[in-house]
Amino acid sequence: MLRWLATLGILALLALDLGMRATPLGRRGSEARLRADVAGTIGTLGQPLPELDLRRLDGSPLRLAELAGRRVVLTFERSVDW
Amino acid sequence: MRRITAYRALCGLLGIPLILLGVGLVLGFFRAMAPGGEPPGPLVPLGPNGLYYMAFLGTALVGWGGGLVGAMRQPETSRSVGTATAVALVLSAGYRMLAWFLGDYYFLGEILRVEAAILLLLALAFVWLRPPKPATAS
Repeated sequence: MLRWLATLGILALLALDLGMRATPLGRRGSEARLRADVAGTIGTLGQPLPELDLRRLDGSPLRLAELAGRRVVLTFERSVDW
Repeated sequence: MRRITAYRALCGLLGIPLILLGVGLVLGFFRAMAPGGEPPGPLVPLGPNGLYYMAFLGTALVGWGGGLVGAMRQPETSRSVGTATAVALVLSAGYRMLAWFLGDYYFLGEILRVEAAILLLLALAFVWLRPPKPATAS
């Protein structure tokens, strides 16, 4: 009896595994949290960024205000070296 | 009899690679963290914390694989190893399915899904090939 129950459970998981679809990029939880962590960055395309305190690779502080008037490309990446 | 042979083969085919993988992970930790050791390459993009967990996983795999090799040698008295392995395989498949569903591991493509399917089929094999309870002397 238990053997059959286990089999049914495993087969149900197998069907789920083969049938379910991956969450689209825009609806992923961690991606949404990432955006929510930076206040004011959702739905404000074209608006000035809020003031951010960043760190350079050498550890020294960097404020966005220091870059005012210059063309800057900001990229945010998740480190793989955790 | 054939079922016992298949169960032994299954335990051996899974247990021995698990031991080898576990030893490899522990050795990898020492290779990276020993004084003057080589930092891990792009295949293992882990920092000190990740390497620590890697070594922990290695020791656990050695233990798990050792249990399976024991079950291969004495299958009749090691039924619970098969049960525990089936549970562990289902859990392994479950978190792979969740990882695939969440989409954060999109760079792995279909690997997670395929791995989950293989692990579930292996679990099914353990459920059905596990030897019956030995008859108790009364």
